[in-house]
This record gives sequence, C-alpha cells and structure tokens, in this order.
Amino acid sequence: MFKDFFKHLFPRVVLKKNLRISYTFCLGGMAFTTFMVLVATGILLLFYYRPSPREAFDSILFLETSVFGGRYVRSLHRLASHGFLLLIFLHTLRVILTGAYAKPRQRNWVIGFSLLCLAIFEAYTGYLLPLDQLALWATQTGMKLLETAPLGNMAKGILVPDGVGETLSLIRFYALHIIVVPTLTLFLSLLHFYHIRKNKGVLPYL
Amino acid sequence: MRGYVKSSPVFFRLVKRSLALTVCVLLALAALIPAPLQEQASIGNVPNPVKSAWFLLWIQELVSYDKTLIYGVIGIALIFLFLPWFGFLPVPERGRWCARERLPLTIFTLAIFLAIVLLTIVALFFRGENWNFVSPF
Repeated sequence: MFKDFFKHLFPRVVLKKNLRISYTFCLGGMAFTTFMVLVATGILLLFYYRPSPREAFDSILFLETSVFGGRYVRSLHRLASHGFLLLIFLHTLRVILTGAYAKPRQRNWVIGFSLLCLAIFEAYTGYLLPLDQLALWATQTGMKLLETAPLGNMAKGILVPDGVGETLSLIRFYALHIIVVPTLTLFLSLLHFYHIRKNKGVLPYL
Repeated sequence: MRGYVKSSPVFFRLVKRSLALTVCVLLALAALIPAPLQEQASIGNVPNPVKSAWFLLWIQELVSYDKTLIYGVIGIALIFLFLPWFGFLPVPERGRWCARERLPLTIFTLAIFLAIVLLTIVALFFRGENWNFVSPF
C-alpha cells in the first residue's frame, strides 16, 4: 500500500533527459531525506529530553553517558541538522543558477524560500535545547542580532519573554522546535512537491 | 512518447540511490564527529568572544562592522524572494546552468554566496577575544 501511495506522488512517465544528475544533483531530495532523518532522531531524543532549565542539561548528560546509542543519536541529529541547512542552501543556489525560480514556477520559489528560512529558524531553536555554554551564548548572540533588525525587539519579546534559557523561553523554543516549525516544514515540503508535479517536473520549461 | 521512460523503475532507482547515499553518509559521519557538549550554561560565565550559531556567524561578522548592515541582509533576502517578479530578468526557455542571458544574476548570486562563505570563515576562525582579528595558526 505504501509503495502504491509513493508511486502516485510521481508522474507515470518522465523525460529521460530530465533525469540527468548534473542538472539537480538531487539536492532537494537529499535535503528532504535529511529532514526525515532529523524527524526520526528527534523523536528518539524526545524520550529522554526534559525541557526545563534545571533538568535539560542533566537529561542530555544522562542520554550521552547512560543510554545505549544516546550519544550517537544526538550526534546524528546534530549532523543531520547541519546537512539539512547546507543541502537546502545549495538547492536554493541551484534553483537560482538554473533559472528554475522563474515563471511559471514563482509560487514554488516562494514556498522553497520559506522552507530555507524555516530550516534556519528550526536550527536556531534547536541550538538552545542542550543548555550548555555553547547553546546559551549562541542563542543569546542570535537574540542580539535579532534586536538590530526592524521589529526585532518585538520578536525577541515573543520568543524570550523572560531570559534566554529560562523557563518560558526554553519551553517556547522547545515547542517551536519539535512541533510548530517541523509541521510547517513538512506541510510546505509536500506543497513544494505538489507544485513540482503541477509544473510538469523540473525540466523542460513550459 | 519518444524520449520518455517509466518512473518505475528508472526515476525511482535514482530516488532510492540518492536516499541511500544521504543516509549512509550521515550515519558514517555521525560516528566520526560527535556532537559537542560543553559545561552547563551559566549566565555569569561569559565566554570571550561570544559567537552565534555557525549559520548566523556571517551576519554577526557583518553587523560587527556596522549595525545598519542588517538592512543589507534583509534587502538581499527580499531581492531573492521577489526574483520571479523582476521584469528585466529574462524568463528562461529551458533549464540551463548559468545561462548567458542571466549572467548579471549569476554573478550577483555567486558574489553573495562567496561573501556569506568568507564572512563565516572569518568569524569562525579569525575572531578572538573582544572580537579582535587573530591568526588561527
């Protein structure tokens, strides 16, 4: 059943020359694969992570030292997040350099651009969660950067109503990281795939 | 239907291979590169220099020269977002890497890409105490 569903996401036939690897380098597909790895490892990490300022760091320490494979799963999650950012960035670059952003694909370009922004925001919200020195000060600096932007203070007030790493900010980053942003990313990814089919694939132009 | 092939198995083979390659590379690298974990966060223990996440370092480097440069970052993001609606850019007739008719856009995009990479490298390796330039060697 799963195989049949998967098949229906793709057209029945494709132009052979469209499958040239040198055109897309499969960057978008690889980015989505990495996102799936992030979801899978993220779900595993949820079994041990405790989103409170007092317990967050200890829960990571426990995961790393006392849980079989815990350190590896965390490393895989972190590495996949780097990979996701790099691949989605390179995919965006590919779309610009091949002219695939242009009409009639403008709607899909905006969806893809939103996905890039969401990937950055997702990585940023995840950065705080271990609550070690690296997490705290990288997030703190991120907030200082946000303050320099227009409406930055308002956005900071929403994200960090108390202080970076304190109860409310940690729970907000956690909720954004595990539910809100991944759900939006998945929804926009599916919409992105739908539009690729609607626009009759990546090549040729209509 | 000349020139066409069935998605199953030709296209699916490509999808499966790229999926397998991505997963294998991630699994292997995760075994070689462990995620860092420093000491517990303490608001009283301020590191010097304080650096943002690696993917935001280029913006940190930029605003360290002048805070108003953040408007440049926002401006460039908006330019790229509204790219399809710029009437002076020709609509490509077929997909091609760095086509001659889009040369100015290609140069602009690659320049921005290189600037982001360079600023990230500078902030990552060449910034020390009090955000002063240091040699990484």
